[in-house]
Amino acid sequence: MPAEIFWNQQAALPLLALLQLLPLLGAAVVFALGERSAAVLAGKLFALAELLLAGFAASRIDPLLAGFQLAERIDLLGYHVAVDGISILFLLVTALLTLLMTLYGMSRGMISPGRLFAVLLLAEAGLVGMLLTVNIAWFAFFSALELWAVVYLLRRWASSRAETQALARFVQYQGFGLALFVAGCFVLGWGYAEANGGRWSFDLFDLTGTLPAGKFQTAAFYLLFYGLAVRTPLFPLHGWLPNMAQHGLIAVAPALMVGVKVGIYGMARFVLPLTPDAVLDWQPYVVGFAMAGVFFTAALAFLQTNLRRLLAFAVVSHTSLLVIGLFSLHGAGIQGAMLLAANFGLAVTGMWFVVGFVFRRTGTTELGELSGLFERIPFLAIAFLTFGLAIVGMPGTPGFDAAHLVLEASIARFGALSTVATALGNVAAAGFLLWGFQKAFLSQEKSGSYDVDRTQPMEYLVCGIAVTALLAIGFFTEPWLVLTDAASQALAGSFVR
Amino acid sequence: MKLPLLSLLVLLPLLGGALLWLLPARRARMVAAVTMFGVLLLATWLLVLYDPAGPRFQLLDRLPWLPDIGVHWLLAVDGLSVLFLPATGLLFLGALVASWNAVGEAQRLFYSLLLLLQTATLGIFCAIDLVLFFVFWEISLVPVYFLLARWGVVADAPKVAARYVLIMLAGGFPLLLAFVMLGGVAGSFDLTILLDRPADDGVQRIVLVLMLIGFALKVPLVPLHTWLPQFALAAPGSLTAVLIGLKVGVYGLVRFAIPLAPDAAQDWHWLLAGLGTLTLIYGAVGVLAHSNLRVGLAYASICHVGLAVLGLSTLSEQGVQGAVSLLLSFTVATGGAMLLLEFLRQRTGSTDIHALGGAARTMPMLASGVLICGLAGVGMPGTSSFPAEFLLILSILERYTGAGMAALFGLAIAAGAFLALYRKAFFGPVTRSAVAQAEDLRPREWVVLVVLIALIAGIGIYPAPWLDIVRPAAEAWAAAFLS
Repeated sequence: MPAEIFWNQQAALPLLALLQLLPLLGAAVVFALGERSAAVLAGKLFALAELLLAGFAASRIDPLLAGFQLAERIDLLGYHVAVDGISILFLLVTALLTLLMTLYGMSRGMISPGRLFAVLLLAEAGLVGMLLTVNIAWFAFFSALELWAVVYLLRRWASSRAETQALARFVQYQGFGLALFVAGCFVLGWGYAEANGGRWSFDLFDLTGTLPAGKFQTAAFYLLFYGLAVRTPLFPLHGWLPNMAQHGLIAVAPALMVGVKVGIYGMARFVLPLTPDAVLDWQPYVVGFAMAGVFFTAALAFLQTNLRRLLAFAVVSHTSLLVIGLFSLHGAGIQGAMLLAANFGLAVTGMWFVVGFVFRRTGTTELGELSGLFERIPFLAIAFLTFGLAIVGMPGTPGFDAAHLVLEASIARFGALSTVATALGNVAAAGFLLWGFQKAFLSQEKSGSYDVDRTQPMEYLVCGIAVTALLAIGFFTEPWLVLTDAASQALAGSFVR
Repeated sequence: MKLPLLSLLVLLPLLGGALLWLLPARRARMVAAVTMFGVLLLATWLLVLYDPAGPRFQLLDRLPWLPDIGVHWLLAVDGLSVLFLPATGLLFLGALVASWNAVGEAQRLFYSLLLLLQTATLGIFCAIDLVLFFVFWEISLVPVYFLLARWGVVADAPKVAARYVLIMLAGGFPLLLAFVMLGGVAGSFDLTILLDRPADDGVQRIVLVLMLIGFALKVPLVPLHTWLPQFALAAPGSLTAVLIGLKVGVYGLVRFAIPLAPDAAQDWHWLLAGLGTLTLIYGAVGVLAHSNLRVGLAYASICHVGLAVLGLSTLSEQGVQGAVSLLLSFTVATGGAMLLLEFLRQRTGSTDIHALGGAARTMPMLASGVLICGLAGVGMPGTSSFPAEFLLILSILERYTGAGMAALFGLAIAAGAFLALYRKAFFGPVTRSAVAQAEDLRPREWVVLVVLIALIAGIGIYPAPWLDIVRPAAEAWAAAFLS
C-alpha cells in the first residue's frame, strides 16, 4: 500500500481540486463570453493562471518523499487525487503547453477564437484530471473528456478537405483504445470485488493491495497496455496519427494528443504497479517491439513528402524510446523516460507550432513546395532546428541528461548491443529531422516562390518561450532530476529481482 | 578571491555572441573582432600564468552542475592542453579575417555562430569532466552545421552539412557510452579521479574501442575519413581552417582515450600503430590523386594526423610530446594555409589547379605564404613542424622500425605531391582571366601572413620554450605506461 500525505498538512487550500476546476471554470467563462474579444483575453489569463497554480503546487510538495502528496479523497464518488514528482512534471508541461497554444492560436489567426479557447481549456481540464487522479476509472473518464474535445477541434477547425477521413480514422482508433482501457479497468475492478466480498473499487491504493492473479493479471495488462499504446501512440498502433497530423488542425490537435504523453504517464502510474508480474513476463516483447518501432518508423519518416506527416512519424519513433526507458524497469531508466517525455512533448509541440506558422504563410506543408524559408524567417528556422536537436538529445537540452539516464539503464538491463542499436535509431531520427529541415528551410528558392512575411512578435514570443524553457531545463537539469528521482526509484523498487 | 579565469575564457566568446544581437547588424563584425582579440589576450595571459613545473592540472575551476549523477563544471589545463588555447584564439582571429567580406546577409548570425564554435572549442580543450567535455564536443556541431549549410561555397553544402552532423552524432554515441561506463564504475566523471583509479581490464577494453571509434571519426583516421574531402570543398574557408587546423580528435585520444584505458592501450598499441600507419600512407597517396588544393591539403593533414597517432602509439614521452607539438604546429601551418587558400578562392573563384596556373605572377605574396605554410606542413628544418616531426620519427623508429620507415616514405610522398600541386597552381603561364586580374594580399590579409611566418619561423628556430611547457605533462602522461 503506497503512502500518502493529505493536502491539509502541506497547503492551506486543496490545490489539486483547484487545479482541476480552474480550466473547467475557464472553459465555462470563455464559452459564455462567446466571440467577444474579452473571451480571447480570458482564455489566455486562465491558461496563465493554471500555469502559475501548477508552479505553486510544485513548490508545495517535497520531492524527496517517495509517496503521494497533496492527496484529496471523497469516498462516495471514488474521487481520489494525489501527486508525486512525476505527475508534477507532467502537470507543468501540460499547463505550459496550453498557455503556448492559446498564444499560438491567436498568432495564426484562427476562426472563432472564443470557441477554440473554450474547447482548449476543456481539453486541458481533461489532461489535468488524468494526471492528478489515482483512480483508474476517473482516468478513463477524463481521457474520454479530452478525446471528445480533440474530436470537436478536428471537426470544426480542420485545415484540409480530407479531414473527414482523418477524423473517422481518429475516432475508430481512439474509440477502440478507450474501449480496451475501460475493459482493463473492469477486469481489475472485478478482481477486487471477487476478493473483497463484492465491494467494487478502482482506486490505485485499493487495487495494489489485491493484485489479480495469473491469467487475469495478464489480461488486465494487455487491455490496459494496448489501450494506452493506441493513445501514445506506439508502433504498430499509430495509424491514426499521420492522417490526423496531415489533415487535422495543424498544431493544437497534435499537441493535445502527443504534446503531453499521458499514454506513457498512464503506463507508469497504473500499468506498472497494478500488473507487475505480467509486466516482467512481457517485458522482452514490449521492448523488442519498441526497438523494431524505432527503426521502422524512422524508415517511414524518410519516405514522407509532407512535413506534418514527417513529424508524426518522428513522434512514433521517439515514443518507442520512451517505452524502452520505462520498461527497463530500472530507476534511472524510468526517470530518464519521464524527463524525455517532457522534453519530447515540449520540443515536438514547438516544431508543430513552427509548421503552423509556415502553413499560415505558404498554405502548404508539402516538402516539395517549400523552399528557402531560412532567408525570410531565420528565427523560426533556428527554433525548429533547436526543437529537433532537443529530440535527438543534444547536450544543453533536457533530452541529453534524460537520454544519458536511459542509456545507463539500458546497458544495465539489456546489454551493450541493444543499447547501441537504440542509439543508432536515435541517429536515424536526427537524420530525418535534419532532412526535413533542409528541404523546407534551406533548399534553393524555386522560381515563382512566395514572398513570405517576416517573423511576427507573437511568433517570437511563442517559439521564444518554448526554446528558452528547453534550454533552461537543459542547462539546469538538477532540480528536475531531484523532482523525479524519488518517485522513479519507488516505481522501480517493486521490480528489483 | 581568485578569478575563474578559464570559465571566463570559455564563456567570453559566448558573451560576445550574445552582445552582438543587442547592437546594430553593421557592428557585428567589430564586436566579434574585439571579442576574439580579447580571447587571444586572455589565453596568452593564461599561458604566462601556467607554471610548467607546478602540479599537473592548474587553474582549476570547479562548480557542481549535476551533483546527483557526479557531473561537475570542471575546467583545468595542463601542459598538453594549455598551448591550444592561444592557438585557438589565433586561428579564430584568422578565420574572422578570412570571412571579412564573404558573409553577405545575416552577419549577426554568422558571427554569433563562429563565436559559439569558439566557446565549444575552448571548452573541449579545458574540460576535464567527461560529461562536460561531451557537452562541448556535441554543441560544436550546431554552429558547424549552420555555417556549412548556410554559407557553404558549393550548391550541395546543406547535404554535406547534414552528412557531417549525422556522422558526428553517430560517433558521439560510442563516446557517451564509454563515458557512462567509466563514470558508472567510478561514480564520478572527474578526469583526475578516473586517472588515479583505472577501471578493470574488461571495461578498459570496451571503453578503449568505443572511444577509438568516436574520436577516430573526428580525427579522421582511415577508414573513417570519408567526410573530410567533401567537407573541405564545401565549407567556407574560415570554417575549414578552424576544423582542419584544430585537431580535437587527436586531442581526445591524448587526453581521454589512451590515459583512461592504459592497460588496454598497452595491449593494443599495435592497433593504434596500424591505424596510424594506414592513415599516413593513405593520406599521402590521397594528395597525389587530387587536383584541388583544398582537398590536397585536407589529405596532407590526414597524413600528418596519421603520423601523430603513430607517435602516440609508442606510449612514450617523446611520442606524446611530438604529437602534441605537431598538432600545435599544424594549427598554424595547415590552418594558415587554409586561410590563404580562402583568400585565393575569393579572388579566383576556385582552388582547383585546372582553374589556376601562374598565380604566383599576379599574387606573389599569397604564393609565398602558401609555400611557407606548405613547407612547414612538410616538416622542413627551420619551420615549426621540424622539432615535432623529429621527436615523432625518433620515437617511432625506436619502437617500430618498419612503421617508422613506412612513415618516412609516406611523408616524402606527401611532400612531393603537395609541391607538385603547388607548382601547377602557382607557376607556369597565366591562362585564366580570373588569375590575371586578381590582386595580391590586402593589408588586413597581410597581417595574417606576417603573424603566420613569424610563428612558423620563430618556433622552428627556437622551439625550446614551447617544448618545455609540454614536457612535464608528457612525462606524467607516459609514466602511466611504465609500470
